[in-house]
Amino acid sequence: MAEYDTSNSQAKSGTLLGWLDQRYPLISTWNAHIGEYYAPKNFNFWYFFGSLALLVLVNQFVTGIWLTMSYKPSAEEAFNSIEYIMRDVEWGWLIRYMHSTGASAFFIVIYLHMMRGLMYGSYKEPRELVWLIGMMLFLVLMAEAFMGYLLPWGQMSYWGAQVIISLFGAIPLIGPDLATWVRGDYIISDASLNRFFALHVIALPLVLLILVFMHIVALHRVGSNNPDGVEIKKVKNEQGLPVDGIPFHPYYSVKDSMGAVFFAILFALVVFYVPEGGGFFLEPPNFEPADPLKTPEHIAPVWYFTPYYAILRAVPDKFLGVVAMGAAIMFLFAMPWLDRCKVRSIRYRGLSFKLLLAMFVVSFIILGYLGTQPATPELTLMAQIFTTTYFLFFLILPYTSAREKTKPVPERVK
Amino acid sequence: MKSWMLLIGLLTLTVSGMTQAAGGPAIELEDAQNNLRDQDSLQRGAVLFSNYCMACHSVKYMRYNRIARDLGWSDEQVLQNMTFNQARAVDHVMTRMQAGVSTEILGTEPPDLSLMARLKGPDYIYTFLRAYQLDENGNWDNSVLKGTSMPNVLESFQRHSTPEDYAQAARDITNFLEYVGEPAKLERYDLGWKVILFLLVLLLLTYLLKREYWRDIKH
Repeated sequence: MAEYDTSNSQAKSGTLLGWLDQRYPLISTWNAHIGEYYAPKNFNFWYFFGSLALLVLVNQFVTGIWLTMSYKPSAEEAFNSIEYIMRDVEWGWLIRYMHSTGASAFFIVIYLHMMRGLMYGSYKEPRELVWLIGMMLFLVLMAEAFMGYLLPWGQMSYWGAQVIISLFGAIPLIGPDLATWVRGDYIISDASLNRFFALHVIALPLVLLILVFMHIVALHRVGSNNPDGVEIKKVKNEQGLPVDGIPFHPYYSVKDSMGAVFFAILFALVVFYVPEGGGFFLEPPNFEPADPLKTPEHIAPVWYFTPYYAILRAVPDKFLGVVAMGAAIMFLFAMPWLDRCKVRSIRYRGLSFKLLLAMFVVSFIILGYLGTQPATPELTLMAQIFTTTYFLFFLILPYTSAREKTKPVPERVK
Repeated sequence: MKSWMLLIGLLTLTVSGMTQAAGGPAIELEDAQNNLRDQDSLQRGAVLFSNYCMACHSVKYMRYNRIARDLGWSDEQVLQNMTFNQARAVDHVMTRMQAGVSTEILGTEPPDLSLMARLKGPDYIYTFLRAYQLDENGNWDNSVLKGTSMPNVLESFQRHSTPEDYAQAARDITNFLEYVGEPAKLERYDLGWKVILFLLVLLLLTYLLKREYWRDIKH
């Protein structure tokens, strides 16, 4: 006789589903997050990037697991094992290119995902936590990508890591000891490679997974924003369902599937025809094994770090440069409180916000370009100008957003 | 919808600007005009590589039997064409020079050439091979890599052949080295369009599915 309470299960007893649902909240979880999760019906192009980020994450997990099967995390063998994967492992080249392309694709998707948040005010009340968890995800992703880039043990892997880790040394007092502690040696070496490998394949992916879970749970608590920035929960029908909301499944599951396939086509074009991404996804100097005695003429990080690298180099003092680089990201964390305008979507906001956001995006892209170039005096001056405009966005926004002339926001989505 | 078009436009402009700004070697590189699908050229390149390069250089990430498979040779043929019976088909392609000898004679160890084409590009290799000039003291120097320790190994070949044959030999070696840089390259090209074709069909199906479901949503 079943002595346990089965009344909160929606499934029929005597079926497999019933058996499962009495022991695990299968149906209620499905309904809360997929089957009866109501999303605004007016999602546009920009709303593909959330599910695409999840897709790329899965791609990185699966290809990463298979790479780990043949990769050897040692200074002696790392470079050789990558070439072994490229040549002797069945489909190794495909797995490796999917992983390396996935890294760049991850940042493209995440940058566009964040852009969506900035445009439609997705960070504003009540979604501050969704934004903060997302920003933490971004930080961890950067650490994950940075550590992963050392693993091929090419010249650029090695010297990129050397430059970035030496930045810790700029911190007053504890700096040099801290840098040595992070590396596990006085220079980047076998010890550094082993710990980066451990962090790259276990610690950080675990953190990413937990944060992604929290990001989605937090989002589903407050509901999705939309391009009009209006709250769909305000207008409900007799059943108490939002009039402008539609269940995530099947409406957005089929729409996102279409987006995923479209993305996969672009992804396949890169993987099969330009896996080096014009020298930006796989840098040519990285086809030479790491040599601690030979510094490359020009050390540039991978493209997704170049905006911050340009900010670092724009500041003449090394320690202040590190501070500026950190601040460039920390200011983004504060967006929910820096932006004091009540209107969410850029569609109904004043000219000042549009101009500021445009200035921010242009600064970010130009800084990204400058970060790939050698630091000549002219380019450094440009980097200083655009670093200034990058930060001006965050400094001017609190003032203008409180006084913005906004357009009337509609009651319901258009 | 306008905003994302603007963004893509901006990105395209930036990326094209960045590509143009990428630096290169001191002199203008010649176009190698090599063709990975030209199997005869690859076979000639492999033999030339064995005769003119392997005395000093290795391509240590390649195995003889992989070269055989990709270049249309049998295991016996590849050993016959590229070795003097000192290697097995599963062996990696190593140099015939003993370690240390080169440092004694030329002052440096010759680099492994497995990834030279990926590091420098085929045009660099082609131009480098042909860029040897006699200086005023009667010594060979290379205008692509000034002061290189590498001797002008194709000198005798150049003296005994027409300029066209000489260019073709450099092109064949370049072709072989590009192949060696990424042996799966042609496989990649040949698989890619099939995958994309499949995805295009899938895109049509998912689009139709989406349209069918979204019929009942009023905008």
